[in-house]
Amino acid sequence: MQEYSSQAAYDRGEAVCVIGAGASGLIAVKNLRENGFEVDCYERDTVLGGLWNPQNQHSPLYPNTHLVTSRSQTEIPDYPMPDHWPDYPSAARMLEYLKGYAAHFGLAEHIWYGSEISHIEPVEGSRFEVVVKPAAGSAARRLRYGAVIVATGHHWVPNLPSYPGQDLFRGTVLHSSQLKDGSRLRGKSVLVVGGGNSGIDIACEAAVNADRCVHSVRRGYWYLPKYLGGEPADYALARLHNRPRWIRSLLTNRILKGHRHLSARMGMEAPDHSHTDEEPIRNGRYLEHVGDGSIEHRPEIAHFEGGEVAFADGETVRPDVVVFATGYKPKIGCVPAGLLGVDGESEYPKLLARMFSPRVETLAVAGLIEPGVGVLPIVHWQTHAISHWLNIRKGDPERAANFRQQVVSESAQYEVDSTGISPRHRLAVDAEEYLAGLVRIIDTLEQEPAK
Amino acid sequence: MSLQAWVRRTRTPEPAAVEREIAVIEPADLFDFEAQDDPDASPVLCCTGDGAGAAAFGVLWLKRIAGSGRYAAAVSVRGQGNTPAAPGGVEAYVHDVVQAAIAIPRRAVLVGHGRGAAWTALAAARYPADALVLVAPQKLPKSLPKPVGDPRVLLVVSESEAQSKQTQAVTDAYGVAPLTFPGASEDVFKGPGAEGLLDAILSWLNRKD
Repeated sequence: MQEYSSQAAYDRGEAVCVIGAGASGLIAVKNLRENGFEVDCYERDTVLGGLWNPQNQHSPLYPNTHLVTSRSQTEIPDYPMPDHWPDYPSAARMLEYLKGYAAHFGLAEHIWYGSEISHIEPVEGSRFEVVVKPAAGSAARRLRYGAVIVATGHHWVPNLPSYPGQDLFRGTVLHSSQLKDGSRLRGKSVLVVGGGNSGIDIACEAAVNADRCVHSVRRGYWYLPKYLGGEPADYALARLHNRPRWIRSLLTNRILKGHRHLSARMGMEAPDHSHTDEEPIRNGRYLEHVGDGSIEHRPEIAHFEGGEVAFADGETVRPDVVVFATGYKPKIGCVPAGLLGVDGESEYPKLLARMFSPRVETLAVAGLIEPGVGVLPIVHWQTHAISHWLNIRKGDPERAANFRQQVVSESAQYEVDSTGISPRHRLAVDAEEYLAGLVRIIDTLEQEPAK
Repeated sequence: MSLQAWVRRTRTPEPAAVEREIAVIEPADLFDFEAQDDPDASPVLCCTGDGAGAAAFGVLWLKRIAGSGRYAAAVSVRGQGNTPAAPGGVEAYVHDVVQAAIAIPRRAVLVGHGRGAAWTALAAARYPADALVLVAPQKLPKSLPKPVGDPRVLLVVSESEAQSKQTQAVTDAYGVAPLTFPGASEDVFKGPGAEGLLDAILSWLNRKD
């Protein structure tokens, strides 16, 4: 591409702009290319792989990050992982996998690195003007695209709680994304805050490395091991879906009973939601570390006082390091909030079928979802649907209008009602219901047009 | 592959992993000044129903494909050649073909011969092959699955088979006309017509349309 002046926007015709070259962005590029679209993918960093790449300067990886869903449930449907890989590959293997995917399908030539999108705005009805943030010393570039797919993910803006007295605390306070190296915990007294998968993993890391590990969570979770009944846990549970509903719930209860009983016995609060409503904790070591006393399980923090932290149950601890594994806030800075259906009180986007903008037909978001199962295949089917949709929109406006109505009615169905008190789980969907919705959407899109 | 087919697959046990024999000849391996190397041409992965597996392609096919500038590979599915036998049946053979395909650095053309044609046709419904070539197919599934990624398809059958019901079914399913060759199914690896047949396939692959 040549240099463009900042005045005139360069028109890329029907090409599609993909924002982000992480897992979701790469899958989007591949599926768009497969459907015959020209694609420009913009990546603000200088490497691909998004959160899986430790060279990404914003990478949220913590020491020993591994998949929490098993290989067969996480791999991209049309590009499986090598079958000699372990059941739960490490972050390094995930990066190798994504690089392999990009090389296999020749995606790298469509990616513009070091190009952050400062904003996008709808022009000429359904087209978009995209402004690429200038690199040092050059003017901002403006381009026009037929459609935009946002694939920026939701693991970039740390969600940091603030407790009374926290600003006067003299020890080290880190977010999980700042930890990077497990040796920072060695020999220290560590307080890990947060009951999600990252909090549990870091607590287990501290259990073997730190001098003392205290773990504070504010609500009940499902603590599942990575294996159940001799199989990867997510596979073992998903497999039951082949059975009739009542047998399934019977068997599911039987499988989960022991673990629920154990966490109750260890004094943990019972979860206020079903295990499919949000990401369950998948770590077999956690309960064992609690059982051998190397992790001290505590309720929510009440306040900080000098070098001490007090918990809701009145206990106190004097930590050297506090690690907040409190997750991330979704933030799509480059898109006007209204286009994503963000309304006043909540910063969370309200998308149609969790992917289409409620305002503009040619704007979609891939991977802004927590389905409690592997996200890559979900993103594959999302972008499969999005690229089919863009194709139909081009060729058959009448079908497109009908489809639009269906999507609006579908989207009402994925709301998970028992998200409880945790606003962080606003992105959660029940994978089973969401996939069923995707099946209906894709079926409509792939039907031969009625003659 | 449809979403439903994928969901079904994630809920059935994966075939046991085996160490697969994969024979590879790259254009640079030929030490031939004349040979062209075309880094943009998609690699070719071959698979046969013959018990020799990858070795069946070694004598003529891989060298000639590499000679045309393409990365040439052939896989022995479980029980063939030097790949250990393992249970799983057709589903596992298809798994072996897909696994061999993703191990190739770039998106590959799938070439299947005999019963191997059935496995590659099924593999193409799971892996977006660059093109699908079915040579003298045998035991094809009754309803052929739609390939993903919309690859070009070539059907190659012996002259005696050209009018058969199965050939008719395949040409209908993919909407292609068969390319015919004289002789029997085994003649594609040796015999007088083999080189000409292979060159016809390669020139079809090189065709841009």
